Amino acid sequence: STSSVLSAEKDEFTTSKDGTTEVASKSQEGKAETPKQKLLDIIGNMKVEVSYRKKLQDLKTRQIKKQATNNLEGLDSGGTMLQKTTEDTQRGKRLNPELVEAAAAVASSLPLNKKQTESELLAQLRRHEETTDKQKKGGTINLRNVISEMAVKRQSRAQRGVRLSNRISLELDEDGQELRPGKFSPQSFVSRRYLSLKGGSRLNIFTKPSEETEIETALETVSSPTIWDLEFAKEIAAITAQPPRNGFEEMIQWTKQGILWEFPIDNEAGMEDDAEFHEHIFLEKHLENFPKQGPIRHFMELVICGLSKNPYLTVKQKIEHIEWFHNYFEEKKELLQEI
Amino acid sequence: TSFCYEPCFSTQVLPATCAQPVRGYYVDWRMLRDVKRRKLAYEYADERLRINAIRKNSILPKELQEVADKEIAALPRDSCPTRLRNRCVLTSRPRGVRRRWRLSRIVFRHFADHAEMSGIQRAMW
Repeated sequence: STSSVLSAEKDEFTTSKDGTTEVASKSQEGKAETPKQKLLDIIGNMKVEVSYRKKLQDLKTRQIKKQATNNLEGLDSGGTMLQKTTEDTQRGKRLNPELVEAAAAVASSLPLNKKQTESELLAQLRRHEETTDKQKKGGTINLRNVISEMAVKRQSRAQRGVRLSNRISLELDEDGQELRPGKFSPQSFVSRRYLSLKGGSRLNIFTKPSEETEIETALETVSSPTIWDLEFAKEIAAITAQPPRNGFEEMIQWTKQGILWEFPIDNEAGMEDDAEFHEHIFLEKHLENFPKQGPIRHFMELVICGLSKNPYLTVKQKIEHIEWFHNYFEEKKELLQEI
Repeated sequence: TSFCYEPCFSTQVLPATCAQPVRGYYVDWRMLRDVKRRKLAYEYADERLRINAIRKNSILPKELQEVADKEIAALPRDSCPTRLRNRCVLTSRPRGVRRRWRLSRIVFRHFADHAEMSGIQRAMW
Protein backbone atom coordinates (compact mmCIF):
# COMPACT_ATOMS: atom_id res chain seq x y z
CA SER A 1 0.00 0.00 0.00
CA THR A 2 1.22 3.51 -0.63
CA SER A 3 0.33 4.73 2.80
CA SER A 4 3.46 5.11 4.85
CA VAL A 5 2.44 7.12 7.85
CA LEU A 6 0.09 5.03 9.88
CA SER A 7 -0.65 4.91 13.50
CA ALA A 8 0.34 1.90 15.47
CA GLU A 9 -3.26 1.16 16.21
CA LYS A 10 -4.02 0.85 12.58
CA ASP A 11 -1.23 -1.60 12.00
CA GLU A 12 -2.53 -3.74 14.77
CA PHE A 13 -6.03 -3.50 13.38
CA THR A 14 -4.91 -4.52 9.92
CA THR A 15 -3.07 -7.55 11.18
CA SER A 16 -5.92 -8.56 13.37
CA LYS A 17 -8.39 -7.88 10.65
CA ASP A 18 -6.51 -10.02 8.17
CA GLY A 19 -6.48 -12.84 10.57
CA THR A 20 -10.10 -12.66 11.56
CA THR A 21 -11.69 -11.76 8.25
CA GLU A 22 -12.25 -15.30 7.20
CA VAL A 23 -13.47 -16.40 10.60
CA ALA A 24 -15.79 -13.45 11.01
CA SER A 25 -17.18 -13.78 7.54
CA LYS A 26 -18.03 -17.42 8.09
CA SER A 27 -19.55 -16.84 11.49
CA GLN A 28 -21.68 -13.94 10.42
CA GLU A 29 -23.27 -15.42 7.33
CA GLY A 30 -26.25 -16.43 9.33
CA LYS A 31 -26.72 -12.99 10.86
CA ALA A 32 -26.38 -11.17 7.60
CA GLU A 33 -29.49 -9.04 7.70
CA THR A 34 -29.43 -7.39 11.09
CA PRO A 35 -25.73 -6.65 11.10
CA LYS A 36 -26.02 -5.41 7.53
CA GLN A 37 -28.55 -2.91 8.60
CA LYS A 38 -26.38 -1.90 11.47
CA LEU A 39 -23.43 -1.62 9.21
CA LEU A 40 -25.29 0.49 6.76
CA ASP A 41 -26.30 2.81 9.54
CA ILE A 42 -22.75 2.98 10.69
CA ILE A 43 -21.56 3.67 7.20
CA GLY A 44 -24.13 6.39 6.95
CA ASN A 45 -22.87 7.86 10.20
CA MET A 46 -19.37 7.55 8.90
CA LYS A 47 -20.18 9.49 5.83
CA VAL A 48 -21.52 12.26 7.96
CA GLU A 49 -18.38 12.28 9.99
CA VAL A 50 -16.29 12.24 6.85
CA SER A 51 -18.13 15.23 5.45
CA TYR A 52 -17.55 17.21 8.65
CA ARG A 53 -13.93 16.35 8.61
CA LYS A 54 -13.72 17.27 4.97
CA LYS A 55 -14.65 20.86 5.72
CA LEU A 56 -11.94 21.18 8.32
CA GLN A 57 -9.35 19.70 6.04
CA ASP A 58 -10.27 22.03 3.20
CA LEU A 59 -9.64 24.96 5.47
CA LYS A 60 -6.31 23.50 6.49
CA THR A 61 -5.20 22.90 2.92
CA ARG A 62 -6.06 26.46 2.01
CA GLN A 63 -3.93 27.73 4.87
CA ILE A 64 -1.04 25.51 3.88
CA LYS A 65 -1.19 26.67 0.30
CA LYS A 66 -1.17 30.29 1.42
CA GLN A 67 1.93 29.78 3.60
CA ALA A 68 3.76 27.73 0.98
CA THR A 69 6.04 26.11 3.51
CA ASN A 70 8.59 23.45 2.61
CA ASN A 71 8.10 21.44 5.79
CA LEU A 72 5.62 18.77 5.09
CA GLU A 73 3.67 17.35 7.90
CA GLY A 74 2.21 13.95 8.13
CA LEU A 75 -1.43 14.49 7.59
CA ASP A 76 -3.82 12.62 9.72
CA SER A 77 -5.66 9.59 8.61
CA GLY A 78 -8.69 11.74 8.25
CA GLY A 79 -6.82 13.96 5.81
CA THR A 80 -5.78 11.07 3.65
CA MET A 81 -9.26 9.79 3.82
CA LEU A 82 -10.70 13.18 2.95
CA GLN A 83 -8.58 13.54 -0.14
CA LYS A 84 -10.33 10.55 -1.47
CA THR A 85 -13.70 11.24 0.14
CA THR A 86 -15.46 11.75 -3.15
CA GLU A 87 -14.01 8.55 -4.46
CA ASP A 88 -14.79 6.80 -1.24
CA THR A 89 -18.40 7.85 -1.16
CA GLN A 90 -18.77 6.58 -4.67
CA ARG A 91 -17.14 3.31 -3.83
CA GLY A 92 -18.67 2.95 -0.45
CA LYS A 93 -21.09 0.47 -1.78
CA ARG A 94 -18.52 -1.44 -3.74
CA LEU A 95 -16.87 -2.81 -0.64
CA ASN A 96 -17.43 -6.40 0.03
CA PRO A 97 -20.29 -6.57 2.55
CA GLU A 98 -18.59 -9.48 4.22
CA LEU A 99 -15.51 -7.39 4.81
CA VAL A 100 -17.66 -4.62 6.17
CA GLU A 101 -19.33 -7.06 8.53
CA ALA A 102 -15.96 -8.33 9.59
CA ALA A 103 -14.73 -4.82 10.23
CA ALA A 104 -17.75 -4.14 12.37
CA ALA A 105 -17.20 -7.31 14.35
CA VAL A 106 -13.58 -6.47 14.93
CA ALA A 107 -14.44 -2.97 16.02
CA SER A 108 -17.03 -4.29 18.41
CA SER A 109 -14.60 -6.79 19.87
CA LEU A 110 -11.94 -4.17 20.57
CA PRO A 111 -12.36 -2.05 23.66
CA LEU A 112 -11.64 1.29 21.97
CA ASN A 113 -14.09 3.68 20.37
CA LYS A 114 -16.05 1.35 18.13
CA LYS A 115 -17.26 3.84 15.60
CA GLN A 116 -13.84 5.33 15.13
CA THR A 117 -12.22 1.95 14.72
CA GLU A 118 -14.85 0.90 12.26
CA SER A 119 -14.38 4.01 10.23
CA GLU A 120 -10.63 3.56 10.21
CA LEU A 121 -10.91 -0.07 9.18
CA LEU A 122 -13.26 0.74 6.37
CA ALA A 123 -10.94 3.47 5.19
CA GLN A 124 -8.15 0.94 5.12
CA LEU A 125 -10.27 -1.40 3.05
CA ARG A 126 -11.10 1.33 0.62
CA ARG A 127 -7.48 2.21 0.22
CA HIS A 128 -6.60 -1.38 -0.53
CA GLU A 129 -9.29 -1.54 -3.16
CA GLU A 130 -8.16 1.68 -4.69
CA THR A 131 -4.60 0.56 -4.98
CA THR A 132 -5.62 -2.73 -6.53
CA ASP A 133 -7.83 -0.91 -9.02
CA LYS A 134 -5.13 1.50 -9.88
CA GLN A 135 -2.61 -1.22 -10.38
CA LYS A 136 -5.04 -3.11 -12.58
CA LYS A 137 -5.75 -0.04 -14.65
CA GLY A 138 -2.09 0.93 -14.63
CA GLY A 139 -2.67 4.25 -12.93
CA THR A 140 0.29 6.58 -12.44
CA ILE A 141 1.42 7.49 -8.99
CA ASN A 142 0.31 10.91 -8.00
CA LEU A 143 3.41 12.45 -6.50
CA ARG A 144 1.43 14.92 -4.53
CA ASN A 145 -0.44 12.21 -2.73
CA VAL A 146 2.75 10.33 -2.09
CA ILE A 147 4.53 13.32 -0.71
CA SER A 148 1.58 14.41 1.36
CA GLU A 149 1.51 11.08 3.09
CA MET A 150 5.21 11.13 3.75
CA ALA A 151 6.53 12.76 6.85
CA VAL A 152 9.81 14.59 6.91
CA LYS A 153 12.21 14.04 9.79
CA ARG A 154 12.58 17.18 11.78
CA GLN A 155 16.07 18.48 12.40
CA SER A 156 17.14 19.17 15.92
CA ARG A 157 18.61 22.51 16.80
CA ALA A 158 22.09 21.09 17.10
CA GLN A 159 21.91 19.56 13.70
CA ARG A 160 20.60 22.76 12.25
CA GLY A 161 23.49 24.65 13.77
CA VAL A 162 25.92 22.13 12.36
CA ARG A 163 24.43 22.34 8.93
CA LEU A 164 24.55 26.12 9.04
CA SER A 165 28.18 26.05 10.07
CA ASN A 166 28.93 23.62 7.27
CA ARG A 167 27.27 25.96 4.82
CA ILE A 168 29.26 28.87 6.13
CA SER A 169 32.52 26.94 5.89
CA LEU A 170 31.70 25.85 2.41
CA GLU A 171 31.18 29.36 1.19
CA LEU A 172 34.50 30.72 2.40
CA ASP A 173 37.72 29.42 0.95
CA GLU A 174 40.87 28.76 2.95
CA ASP A 175 42.35 32.09 1.96
CA GLY A 176 39.28 33.91 3.11
CA GLN A 177 38.01 34.61 -0.36
CA GLU A 178 34.39 33.87 -0.93
CA LEU A 179 34.70 31.01 -3.31
CA ARG A 180 32.63 27.95 -3.63
CA PRO A 181 34.51 24.68 -4.00
CA GLY A 182 32.61 23.62 -7.07
CA LYS A 183 34.77 21.60 -9.37
CA PHE A 184 38.01 21.83 -7.50
CA SER A 185 37.04 19.87 -4.46
CA PRO A 186 33.93 17.89 -5.12
CA GLN A 187 34.95 15.18 -2.73
CA SER A 188 35.50 17.51 0.15
CA PHE A 189 32.28 19.31 -0.68
CA VAL A 190 30.37 16.09 -0.61
CA SER A 191 32.13 14.88 2.46
CA ARG A 192 31.47 18.07 4.33
CA ARG A 193 27.84 17.97 3.42
CA TYR A 194 27.02 14.45 4.22
CA LEU A 195 29.66 13.52 6.76
CA SER A 196 29.99 15.63 9.83
CA LEU A 197 31.84 14.73 12.95
CA LYS A 198 29.51 16.57 15.28
CA GLY A 199 26.11 15.97 13.75
CA GLY A 200 24.28 12.73 13.33
CA SER A 201 22.79 10.27 15.75
CA ARG A 202 25.00 7.88 17.64
CA LEU A 203 25.20 4.34 16.36
CA ASN A 204 25.87 2.94 19.86
CA ILE A 205 28.26 0.34 18.52
CA PHE A 206 31.20 1.09 20.76
CA THR A 207 30.97 1.41 24.49
CA LYS A 208 32.62 4.51 25.76
CA PRO A 209 35.14 3.51 28.40
CA SER A 210 35.30 5.69 31.47
CA GLU A 211 38.00 8.32 31.46
CA GLU A 212 39.48 7.11 34.72
CA THR A 213 40.20 3.67 33.45
CA GLU A 214 41.79 5.16 30.36
CA ILE A 215 44.08 7.30 32.45
CA GLU A 216 44.92 4.39 34.71
CA THR A 217 45.81 2.12 31.86
CA ALA A 218 47.92 4.84 30.27
CA LEU A 219 49.78 5.38 33.55
CA GLU A 220 50.33 1.68 34.02
CA THR A 221 51.82 1.23 30.60
CA VAL A 222 54.10 4.22 31.08
CA SER A 223 55.25 3.39 34.58
CA SER A 224 56.16 -0.26 33.99
CA PRO A 225 57.88 -0.87 30.64
CA THR A 226 58.37 -4.58 31.08
CA ILE A 227 61.43 -6.45 29.96
CA TRP A 228 59.35 -8.05 27.27
CA ASP A 229 58.46 -4.65 25.88
CA LEU A 230 62.09 -3.62 25.83
CA GLU A 231 63.12 -6.81 24.10
CA PHE A 232 60.33 -6.44 21.61
CA ALA A 233 61.46 -2.92 20.86
CA LYS A 234 65.01 -4.13 20.41
CA GLU A 235 63.86 -6.88 18.10
CA ILE A 236 61.96 -4.41 15.97
CA ALA A 237 64.98 -2.13 15.80
CA ALA A 238 67.21 -5.03 14.81
CA ILE A 239 64.84 -6.22 12.10
CA THR A 240 64.19 -2.79 10.64
CA ALA A 241 67.88 -1.90 10.63
CA GLN A 242 68.88 -2.96 7.14
CA PRO A 243 72.59 -3.39 6.26
CA PRO A 244 74.04 -0.29 4.60
CA ARG A 245 73.63 -0.26 0.86
CA ASN A 246 76.70 1.85 0.19
CA GLY A 247 79.66 3.54 1.87
CA PHE A 248 77.70 6.68 2.67
CA GLU A 249 75.12 4.80 4.69
CA GLU A 250 77.89 2.95 6.46
CA MET A 251 79.52 6.22 7.42
CA ILE A 252 76.18 7.56 8.61
CA GLN A 253 75.72 4.49 10.77
CA TRP A 254 79.20 4.90 12.25
CA THR A 255 78.59 8.56 12.97
CA LYS A 256 75.40 7.70 14.82
CA GLN A 257 77.20 5.07 16.85
CA GLY A 258 80.00 7.49 17.67
CA ILE A 259 82.78 5.67 15.86
CA LEU A 260 83.20 8.46 13.32
CA TRP A 261 83.51 12.10 14.17
CA GLU A 262 81.17 14.71 12.78
CA PHE A 263 82.64 16.88 10.03
CA PRO A 264 83.62 19.72 10.08
CA ILE A 265 85.45 18.68 13.22
CA ASP A 266 84.32 20.44 16.35
CA ASN A 267 87.19 20.75 18.78
CA GLU A 268 84.83 20.99 21.71
CA ALA A 269 82.68 18.01 20.77
CA GLY A 270 81.62 16.19 23.91
CA MET A 271 82.82 18.97 26.17
CA GLU A 272 79.91 20.80 27.71
CA ASP A 273 81.63 22.93 30.28
CA ASP A 274 79.31 25.87 30.76
CA ALA A 275 81.28 27.24 33.70
CA GLU A 276 83.35 30.38 33.37
CA PHE A 277 87.10 30.57 34.04
CA HIS A 278 86.69 32.21 37.45
CA GLU A 279 84.75 29.19 38.69
CA HIS A 280 87.71 26.98 37.79
CA ILE A 281 90.40 29.13 39.35
CA PHE A 282 88.92 30.80 42.40
CA LEU A 283 87.98 27.82 44.54
CA GLU A 284 88.59 29.37 47.95
CA LYS A 285 84.87 29.79 48.57
CA HIS A 286 84.62 25.99 48.86
CA LEU A 287 87.06 26.04 51.77
CA GLU A 288 84.57 27.62 54.16
CA ASN A 289 83.94 24.36 56.02
CA PHE A 290 87.60 23.76 56.81
CA PRO A 291 89.47 25.17 59.81
CA LYS A 292 91.20 28.42 59.03
CA GLN A 293 94.50 27.54 60.59
CA GLY A 294 96.55 24.44 60.87
CA PRO A 295 98.12 21.83 58.63
CA ILE A 296 94.78 20.85 57.12
CA ARG A 297 94.18 24.33 55.80
CA HIS A 298 97.68 24.38 54.37
CA PHE A 299 97.05 21.05 52.73
CA MET A 300 93.74 22.11 51.26
CA GLU A 301 95.18 25.31 49.85
CA LEU A 302 97.73 23.20 48.01
CA VAL A 303 94.93 20.99 46.72
CA ILE A 304 93.04 24.03 45.44
CA CYS A 305 96.17 25.37 43.77
CA GLY A 306 96.55 22.10 41.92
CA LEU A 307 92.88 21.97 40.90
CA SER A 308 92.92 25.49 39.53
CA LYS A 309 95.71 24.49 37.17
CA ASN A 310 93.85 21.38 36.01
CA PRO A 311 92.10 21.92 32.67
CA TYR A 312 90.78 18.38 32.33
CA LEU A 313 88.31 18.31 35.19
CA THR A 314 84.92 19.98 35.19
CA VAL A 315 83.87 22.33 37.97
CA LYS A 316 81.61 19.66 39.39
CA GLN A 317 84.42 17.16 39.60
CA LYS A 318 86.62 19.69 41.40
CA ILE A 319 83.90 20.46 43.90
CA GLU A 320 83.42 16.74 44.48
CA HIS A 321 87.16 16.39 45.10
CA ILE A 322 87.07 19.04 47.81
CA GLU A 323 83.90 17.57 49.30
CA TRP A 324 85.54 14.18 49.60
CA PHE A 325 88.43 15.64 51.53
CA HIS A 326 86.00 17.45 53.80
CA ASN A 327 84.16 14.22 54.55
CA TYR A 328 87.38 12.35 55.12
CA PHE A 329 88.63 14.86 57.65
CA GLU A 330 85.24 14.93 59.35
CA GLU A 331 85.52 11.20 59.96
CA LYS A 332 89.02 11.54 61.32
CA LYS A 333 88.19 14.41 63.70
CA GLU A 334 88.61 12.33 66.84
CA LEU A 335 92.01 11.20 65.78
CA LEU A 336 93.04 14.70 64.92
CA GLN A 337 91.94 16.02 68.31
CA GLU A 338 94.14 13.51 70.08
CA ILE A 339 97.08 14.96 68.29
CA THR B 1 81.85 -12.98 35.25
CA SER B 2 80.88 -16.14 33.44
CA PHE B 3 81.40 -19.74 34.48
CA CYS B 4 81.43 -21.25 31.03
CA TYR B 5 84.50 -22.84 29.53
CA GLU B 6 85.29 -19.90 27.32
CA PRO B 7 86.56 -16.58 28.66
CA CYS B 8 83.44 -14.60 27.75
CA PHE B 9 82.99 -11.41 29.73
CA SER B 10 79.56 -9.77 29.73
CA THR B 11 79.79 -6.76 27.45
CA GLN B 12 77.42 -3.82 27.55
CA VAL B 13 75.94 -4.44 24.11
CA LEU B 14 73.92 -7.62 23.96
CA PRO B 15 75.18 -9.67 21.04
CA ALA B 16 71.71 -11.02 20.15
CA THR B 17 70.23 -7.63 19.25
CA CYS B 18 73.32 -6.17 17.57
CA ALA B 19 73.29 -6.40 13.80
CA GLN B 20 77.05 -6.17 13.29
CA PRO B 21 79.30 -9.07 14.25
CA VAL B 22 80.67 -8.50 17.76
CA ARG B 23 83.48 -10.41 19.40
CA GLY B 24 81.91 -11.99 22.44
CA TYR B 25 84.94 -13.86 23.79
CA TYR B 26 88.44 -12.92 24.98
CA VAL B 27 91.51 -14.66 23.70
CA ASP B 28 92.40 -16.35 27.01
CA TRP B 29 91.76 -16.22 30.74
CA ARG B 30 94.72 -13.93 31.38
CA MET B 31 93.20 -11.38 29.13
CA LEU B 32 89.91 -11.72 31.00
CA ARG B 33 91.63 -11.13 34.33
CA ASP B 34 93.38 -8.11 32.91
CA VAL B 35 90.02 -6.73 31.79
CA LYS B 36 88.57 -7.18 35.29
CA ARG B 37 91.55 -5.40 36.83
CA ARG B 38 91.16 -2.50 34.45
CA LYS B 39 87.50 -2.11 35.38
CA LEU B 40 88.23 -2.11 39.12
CA ALA B 41 91.12 0.26 38.69
CA TYR B 42 88.80 2.67 36.89
CA GLU B 43 86.29 2.50 39.75
CA TYR B 44 88.77 3.15 42.54
CA ALA B 45 91.01 5.57 40.70
CA ASP B 46 89.69 8.72 42.39
CA GLU B 47 89.83 7.29 45.90
CA ARG B 48 93.32 5.97 45.41
CA LEU B 49 94.50 9.32 44.14
CA ARG B 50 93.08 11.21 47.12
CA ILE B 51 94.34 8.79 49.75
CA ASN B 52 97.75 8.82 48.16
CA ALA B 53 97.69 12.61 48.23
CA ILE B 54 97.29 12.37 52.00
CA ARG B 55 99.99 9.77 52.31
CA LYS B 56 102.66 11.39 50.18
CA ASN B 57 102.56 14.56 52.27
CA SER B 58 104.99 16.36 54.49
CA ILE B 59 102.45 18.81 55.99
CA LEU B 60 99.84 16.54 57.55
CA PRO B 61 100.63 14.66 60.75
CA LYS B 62 102.13 11.22 60.45
CA GLU B 63 99.34 9.52 62.36
CA LEU B 64 96.93 10.59 59.70
CA GLN B 65 99.23 9.26 57.04
CA GLU B 66 99.47 5.89 58.78
CA VAL B 67 95.72 5.65 58.88
CA ALA B 68 95.64 6.46 55.20
CA ASP B 69 98.15 3.69 54.54
CA LYS B 70 95.90 1.20 56.22
CA GLU B 71 92.92 2.42 54.27
CA ILE B 72 94.55 2.07 50.93
CA ALA B 73 95.75 -1.41 51.80
CA ALA B 74 92.17 -2.36 52.61
CA LEU B 75 91.02 -1.60 49.10
CA PRO B 76 90.68 -4.59 46.70
CA ARG B 77 93.95 -5.71 45.36
CA ASP B 78 92.87 -5.65 41.74
CA SER B 79 92.07 -1.95 41.97
CA CYS B 80 95.77 -1.15 41.88
CA PRO B 81 96.86 0.27 38.50
CA THR B 82 100.30 -1.32 38.81
CA ARG B 83 98.71 -4.72 38.32
CA LEU B 84 97.59 -3.89 34.80
CA ARG B 85 99.60 -5.34 31.93
CA ASN B 86 99.31 -3.88 28.47
CA ARG B 87 98.70 -7.04 26.56
CA CYS B 88 98.27 -7.41 22.83
CA VAL B 89 94.66 -6.88 21.95
CA LEU B 90 94.49 -9.68 19.41
CA THR B 91 96.84 -12.34 20.74
CA SER B 92 97.09 -11.43 24.46
CA ARG B 93 100.89 -11.47 24.27
CA PRO B 94 102.29 -9.76 27.40
CA ARG B 95 105.62 -8.77 25.89
CA GLY B 96 106.63 -6.97 22.72
CA VAL B 97 103.50 -4.87 22.62
CA ARG B 98 103.63 -1.47 20.89
CA ARG B 99 101.58 0.91 23.02
CA ARG B 100 100.37 3.08 20.18
CA TRP B 101 98.69 0.23 18.36
CA ARG B 102 98.09 -2.09 21.34
CA LEU B 103 99.41 -4.94 19.20
CA SER B 104 102.24 -7.36 19.64
CA ARG B 105 105.18 -7.10 17.29
CA ILE B 106 104.22 -10.21 15.34
CA VAL B 107 100.66 -9.06 14.64
CA PHE B 108 101.91 -5.59 13.81
CA ARG B 109 104.38 -6.96 11.31
CA HIS B 110 101.70 -9.15 9.78
CA PHE B 111 99.35 -6.25 9.18
CA ALA B 112 102.07 -3.90 8.01
CA ASP B 113 103.27 -6.36 5.38
CA HIS B 114 99.75 -6.75 4.06
CA ALA B 115 99.40 -2.93 3.92
CA GLU B 116 96.65 -2.88 6.49
CA MET B 117 98.32 -0.38 8.79
CA SER B 118 97.75 3.19 7.78
CA GLY B 119 100.94 5.20 7.21
CA ILE B 120 103.32 2.31 7.92
CA GLN B 121 106.08 1.56 5.46
CA ARG B 122 109.14 -0.66 5.48
CA ALA B 123 112.05 1.37 6.74
CA MET B 124 114.93 1.87 4.38
CA TRP B 125 117.67 4.40 4.78
